[in-house]
Amino acid sequence: MGNPNTGKSTLFSALVGVHQHVGNYPGVTVEKKLGRMRAGRQEFEVIDLPGLYSLAVRSRDEQVALDVLLGRIDGDQPVDAILCVVDAGNLCRNFYLLSQLIELGRPMVVAVNMVDVAERRGMRVDCSLLERRLGVPVVPTQAHRGIGIDEIKAALLRVRGTPPPELEQVFPAEFEREAELLEGEFDSCGMPRCACRRFRRGMVRRMLLDVHGRMHCGLDPAARSRWLSLLDSARARLGEAGVELPGVEPPSRYAWAQRVLDGVVSVAADRPPTATDRIDRFLTHPIFGLAVFAAVMAVMFQAVFLGAKPLIDAAAAGVDAVSGAASHILPEGALRDLIVDGVIAGVGSVVVFVPQIAILFVFIAVLEDCGYMARAAFLMDRLMVRVGLSGKSFIPMLSSFACAVPGIMATRVIEDERDRLATIFAAPLLTCSARLPVYGLLIGAFIPDYRWVYGIVGLQGLVLGLFYLLGIVAAVATALLLKRTVLRGESPPLLLELPSYKRPSASVVVMRVAQRVWVFLRTAGTLILAISVLVWAALYFPRNTPTVGPLLAQRQAIEAVRSALPADLAEDDPRRTSLDEQLAELSRAIDMEFQQHSLLASAGRWIEPVVRPLGWDWRIGCAVMASFPAREVVVATMGVMYQFGDLEEAADKDIDRVSRQLRSVRRDGSDEPAFTVPVALSIMVFFALCIQCGATLAVIRRETNSWRWPAFAFAYMTTLAYVGALATYQIAAWLALRWA
Amino acid sequence: MISNADCPLCDLSAGQAGRIVRIHGKAEHVHRLAEFGLRPGVTVRMFRPGTPCIFQLGESKVCFRQDRQLQVFVEPMPHRV
Repeated sequence: MGNPNTGKSTLFSALVGVHQHVGNYPGVTVEKKLGRMRAGRQEFEVIDLPGLYSLAVRSRDEQVALDVLLGRIDGDQPVDAILCVVDAGNLCRNFYLLSQLIELGRPMVVAVNMVDVAERRGMRVDCSLLERRLGVPVVPTQAHRGIGIDEIKAALLRVRGTPPPELEQVFPAEFEREAELLEGEFDSCGMPRCACRRFRRGMVRRMLLDVHGRMHCGLDPAARSRWLSLLDSARARLGEAGVELPGVEPPSRYAWAQRVLDGVVSVAADRPPTATDRIDRFLTHPIFGLAVFAAVMAVMFQAVFLGAKPLIDAAAAGVDAVSGAASHILPEGALRDLIVDGVIAGVGSVVVFVPQIAILFVFIAVLEDCGYMARAAFLMDRLMVRVGLSGKSFIPMLSSFACAVPGIMATRVIEDERDRLATIFAAPLLTCSARLPVYGLLIGAFIPDYRWVYGIVGLQGLVLGLFYLLGIVAAVATALLLKRTVLRGESPPLLLELPSYKRPSASVVVMRVAQRVWVFLRTAGTLILAISVLVWAALYFPRNTPTVGPLLAQRQAIEAVRSALPADLAEDDPRRTSLDEQLAELSRAIDMEFQQHSLLASAGRWIEPVVRPLGWDWRIGCAVMASFPAREVVVATMGVMYQFGDLEEAADKDIDRVSRQLRSVRRDGSDEPAFTVPVALSIMVFFALCIQCGATLAVIRRETNSWRWPAFAFAYMTTLAYVGALATYQIAAWLALRWA
Repeated sequence: MISNADCPLCDLSAGQAGRIVRIHGKAEHVHRLAEFGLRPGVTVRMFRPGTPCIFQLGESKVCFRQDRQLQVFVEPMPHRV
């Protein structure tokens, strides 16, 4: 336990090493960090709780922390001991939480961390005097150097089973009298049985101060109402005596902290500007600070898009190799196709995003750990306030330009639940990298390559910019709309500590990135796997197309000719290679024939009336439907539907040819072209606004802990996309008609 | 009573110190600030004025956005030479 920015995570890593894993607490999206620590000959489970300033329950973090300490999380015992980490440079404020923790009466060790940093500022902390005053072990530590770790382990072993001594009176006498009275009623109200009297008193104090009743007691209704009425009358008596609740808590505890710390900390007479001050003078400057911030973000994006390219290619090549190997091993048939085209392709579509996501997480973790993140929030707050959010929403939103998944996962830093939800909803509207192949293909094929100003300004680039802008406008409008309707309410004050800069710890960064990537793979992988298999099946079955018959016969004939070739023929003999080419061509034709008559294709024909007003024919409808699990597959599916083969590769090689091909396609049974500029625009608008990404939905589900929000996001964005595409097509078609 | 000497926290100039005299706002928010150590009687030193502003509170640097719902008033101290 400890305040934020006390080096708690570093200390946790030092205690448990690599034996740590993260999960979620049941029912809430608070990270549960667990680790195993060896001390003496025993092994202990160590829990890293979220950094808090107070145990007063207001947010889910505080709720979870208190529940863990009190052993109210299902099945868990109350903790054996609490290790409270305090910042040596900021003892007074850290002692606020410390006094709350001591009152719970659990065995306790205090780690005074970052003593070296405090000493450099001319502060000395007398830990042995502090230990005598508090009556619990006080260990000076430097977690990043591993100093004091063994002493902490030894102290934790020593205090097991010995509660700390009662604090000298913190609260006014009236308060303690009421607490004592309530304690007498504790058992009769069916409160959870606890052997320790101190623990009981601690609970009573917290409940008395918890005027908003956010500490769920878990009592049966009758006992609960009796307990609540007792609490109310106690509070009323205190009010009459001039003891304000909960207002009495801060002054009482700060007064206690000052008494305890008197003579313990020696401060230098004059506080010289620290290195952090000097850096901040520059980095929080309204002009230089913003310039540096823009540069940092530019580097981050360069790294994500360029740095990840070779890794993505490698990942894609790996996926291809696996599917190639699987095709060789498995016999031809539905099982092979399921594994290769359903399972491997589905999981592969998740895996190829890992490099990008990992690089983003590395940047976020480094910025967090070195202390820059809080400055970024400060710099961006002015901007974000205008859309009803705070500076903390900026980094999640910005990350979403690469991929919404890490963006949504980064929203955990936003304490305010409403701000967090609004950010989660806005994030998927921002133009992520998976939309680029669609934009690239359609803009390349349909927007004329006009250039102005010596060829620097091009129409294609401008259109791409417009689609980025569309995403931003939609995201901002969504955030504003939500904050004014469903998520209306007063935001809590923005109060943010700017930690001192420090060198980011490699182990903390590596652990954090590994944990988040693993969460992504698990969350997104399972859902995408399921959807991919479904889409695969819809594209595979019923597989009884009569027109395939002649093609199959042809293939058999060619295979017969090929096997009749002399065995000693060279590998690259033209006779053999030409036959191989013919065979490959035929296999593609057979696959396409099947897919053209698949369930998905029939569904596409069936929904044609719905997509008709968007200017789409049934084939585009199909491709869009197939791209709901992962939007980037649309290009490939379109290639299949129009029998173009590998459209993506073709577009890379010769976009003009693809453009001619697309323009030459006619709608079924008419002379009208299937693709025109209005159709292309309408498809792009649909892709800009629609949440065609199973991974994002899965992550929203994980981060909001219910299916309701992802379902709402899906419905909202699909409607928005449909209406947007409809308006685009109708207006563009009308304009095209007038021009012509 | 609001005396003339008091001013909103964000109006302190860079480097200027001020003693917090009172905090206006919802009890819940005021309580939160108090837990954080922002309470009457405490001295803060402005680092970067504006909205939001950054100031020094004891050994920590704090970023705070003042709005109509939550206002911190300070009694400015003379500039340190």
